[in-house]
Amino acid sequence: MQMNRRFFLHKGALAVAGTAAIPSFMVRSVMAETANHPGRRLVVVFQRGAADGLNIVVPYKEKNYYSMRPSIAIPQNQVLDLDGFFGLHPSLAPFKPLYDQGHLAIVHAAGSPDTTRSHFDAQDYMESGTPGVKSTQDGWLNRALQAEDLRKRCVGTCEQHTAFRALALGNDVPRTLAGKIPAIALSNVNGFTVAGRGPALSPAASAFEAMYADSGDHILHAAGDETFDAVKMLRAANPAQYTPNPAANYPGTEFGNNMKQIAQLLKADLGVEVAFTDVSGWDTHVNQGSVNGQLANRLGDFSASIAAFWRDLGDDAGNVTLVTMSEFGRTARENGTGGTDHGHANAMFVLGGDVKGGKVYGRWPGLDNDQLNEGRDLVLTTDFRNVLGEVVSQTLGATNMETVFPGAQLAPARFLRLV
Amino acid sequence: MSAAQPDMNSAASSAQPEYDHAAITNILALEPQQRVARLVAMQPEQFESFIHGLRPVERVALNAGLSPELKLTVAALESPERVVGEELIAARLTRDVYSPAQLQEVMTDFWLNHFNVYLRKNEQMPYYLVSYERDTIRPRSLGRFEDLLEAVAHSPAMLVYLDNAESLGPHSLAAERAQMAASRQPNKKNVREGLNENYARELMELHTLGVNGGYTQADVTEVARVRTGWTIDRPVQGAQFTFNPNRHEPGNKKVMGQKIKDGGEMEGRELLHMLATRPATAQFISRKLAMRFVSDDPPQALVDRLAKSYLSSGGDISSVLRTLFRSPEFWSTDAYRAKVKTPIEYVVSAARASNAEIDNYQPLANQLRQMGMPVYGAIPPTGYNWQESTWVSTGALVDRMNFSLSLAANRLPGVTVNWTPLPDLANNGADPEPTPEQEELRLEPLLVAGGVSDTTRAAAIQQFQVQYTQDPGPMKPVAAARKQNRTANVVERQDEVLAGLLIGSPEFQRR
Repeated sequence: MQMNRRFFLHKGALAVAGTAAIPSFMVRSVMAETANHPGRRLVVVFQRGAADGLNIVVPYKEKNYYSMRPSIAIPQNQVLDLDGFFGLHPSLAPFKPLYDQGHLAIVHAAGSPDTTRSHFDAQDYMESGTPGVKSTQDGWLNRALQAEDLRKRCVGTCEQHTAFRALALGNDVPRTLAGKIPAIALSNVNGFTVAGRGPALSPAASAFEAMYADSGDHILHAAGDETFDAVKMLRAANPAQYTPNPAANYPGTEFGNNMKQIAQLLKADLGVEVAFTDVSGWDTHVNQGSVNGQLANRLGDFSASIAAFWRDLGDDAGNVTLVTMSEFGRTARENGTGGTDHGHANAMFVLGGDVKGGKVYGRWPGLDNDQLNEGRDLVLTTDFRNVLGEVVSQTLGATNMETVFPGAQLAPARFLRLV
Repeated sequence: MSAAQPDMNSAASSAQPEYDHAAITNILALEPQQRVARLVAMQPEQFESFIHGLRPVERVALNAGLSPELKLTVAALESPERVVGEELIAARLTRDVYSPAQLQEVMTDFWLNHFNVYLRKNEQMPYYLVSYERDTIRPRSLGRFEDLLEAVAHSPAMLVYLDNAESLGPHSLAAERAQMAASRQPNKKNVREGLNENYARELMELHTLGVNGGYTQADVTEVARVRTGWTIDRPVQGAQFTFNPNRHEPGNKKVMGQKIKDGGEMEGRELLHMLATRPATAQFISRKLAMRFVSDDPPQALVDRLAKSYLSSGGDISSVLRTLFRSPEFWSTDAYRAKVKTPIEYVVSAARASNAEIDNYQPLANQLRQMGMPVYGAIPPTGYNWQESTWVSTGALVDRMNFSLSLAANRLPGVTVNWTPLPDLANNGADPEPTPEQEELRLEPLLVAGGVSDTTRAAAIQQFQVQYTQDPGPMKPVAAARKQNRTANVVERQDEVLAGLLIGSPEFQRR
């Protein structure tokens, strides 16, 4: 039998379980396999609820912007100017230095070409990566890993990959990561252990492991295998030793905590290649506020968490690319209740060591009446798949765009060249 | 202020607008009963000033020595909406676990998720939700869908959650007045009121027709106009539904090609009737019920049969369920254990199976939060997804295994399980201790309906025996009483582990 990593972890670790976790020298030797291949990592952040891109990256020189948003617009003297036309919402101050240093790029008027205004459908399409096609089973990020494997000619389970290759910080594996490549979900690194935290698996944990390993229930059998692989690896890596850089001020929020734990797991060298997390609270139909208020608070958490993550990683940040998205934007005009309703195009952020930042990418479509989508929203000029396609081909080496985004007909020649 | 209490309050509040530290120290030095009595006697502003004036150590001192009831009183004074929210969740879980009318609770859970409302939308929501669950949803959970839809559309909880309470017809009387007022005060910051289409969209997409139910963006806006004026009265005093004609958009409307004549509140009722009786709604509700009771991907023939039953019975939910439970698809082997339990189904079924005595629901509520399914905690109007892919993951399994072991070993505070009857030990321990096999055979049918597989059973017993044989030392002759205790403890420990393993087993994850 081929001695692959999953086999090793599953059977090999069992052989030594009961006395200790995987001995550290063995851990190092398996880790070496992942460490060899240039460790580009990708972090994906989903802003659930449709963030208001027009008040996030503000087109403050757009003549219609202020007339369309009389009570919620960000005054020109309050935006953090980016290029003389766009400016950041003041609550995104932690992003400003990253932009100025050339690490942070923005793509405006980007998003999904599908016109649905349903949160559920739009998130589903964006996560499957196939707008308008409901039958897609897997997520784009899982397919990106499949494309990476295809390119390296190791179809299926690649030996060098660990249980942590595809990681979701949260309670479930999101649609984005669903698919053939096993992905794991955890919400709390410290709590990720079965029946106690001792150095060895307890008898109860071993019993569970055997139950799931021998179960004829395919779904639960697979989940059980992945669970115990991950639990044992995490024990051996002891991520508690990787405390955040003191200069990284993570907000005490769920999102801040998720970003902190992603950094921790990246530093623990568990073989994380892609990580996903989400942040909600963007569905601002009522009183979204302007410089202060609901949206401002969300943005403060959002930017402070990401900036802390960047700082926490220190030198490793150079190997990391982070990309953000939201299912659609919001109406160009404010609605009757000091908020905005469901719209169309939005703004995406791309942060990374290799990113050609300090620039707002994408063609600006304007906000004149005849320039709007259905007379009410920002028109889309960049398909989100064009951005993600470029990112995954540059970071993961997933170059087969037909695998990652079937039907999108992405051509590298049309990439924005932002990575 | 009433004439009966002339000056007391104002005297008190003017004499002590702020609590200085001497006053705080005096209160903290009181006996628990009197301490809390003093807090209760304070005016709201006084209490605010007192509680915000506390230093962290004093905050601890305030609760020192308080009985649980007194602690709850302080918590209720400090944050009444939090206490109401916790009680709401406890009441819901109590019925889930103990109600003899389980189908009604299952359907209450179903509709509360279908017509999702988020607990923390605002500070008033916990109060609205108490009535929403008790008066709006549960009594209609097995009735006519249209009645339920109507009741939800009138409920403060939904009107606030989906912002309809604030939606204003752009040409309504109230809007015109606001414009005139604004023009008289040109310097005042212009906070405009107007149409909000949040509820309109979800009403069609999530509550009735489904996303492919044949409506357009124009229909959404038109429905929002129809629904203007449906708002609430006295939001911080419990809230009541009211139709405010001054906020209603005048004129005829047209929704999905059907004209709705200018008619104030009647327009909304006409709209709800139209939506409730559409074939797309029959399909949408039927599919969702089949997904709840049969499988994540139910056969279309079954869905069609349910939809037919829906339409012929005037949307009677009991009739649709009767059809469902008499369908061969419901009884087919494919449907046996086809569903993975959601966290709330898992936690509640574990508590039911182990016949737990629950005095404190907090550990269960915390578990559900940890598992990603806090009660009334779904933020988006879609509610929680019930599909397997959402709930089977590494993190989820870790949580479930740990929960099952904690529950079975009485490690959840305020939740008591008891695995006795113990075997007869009256004859001074002369009986041999029951073996793990014997105990497994006793516990398995109690805990897992339909039983577990041979491999699961073997894993539970075998791992147990590893531990068992490692149990040190041969039995020495000891006093009979001590031996009896030892035996009882060993058996109890053994039962706890066995029960925990069975509740955490693959078989118990499904229903």
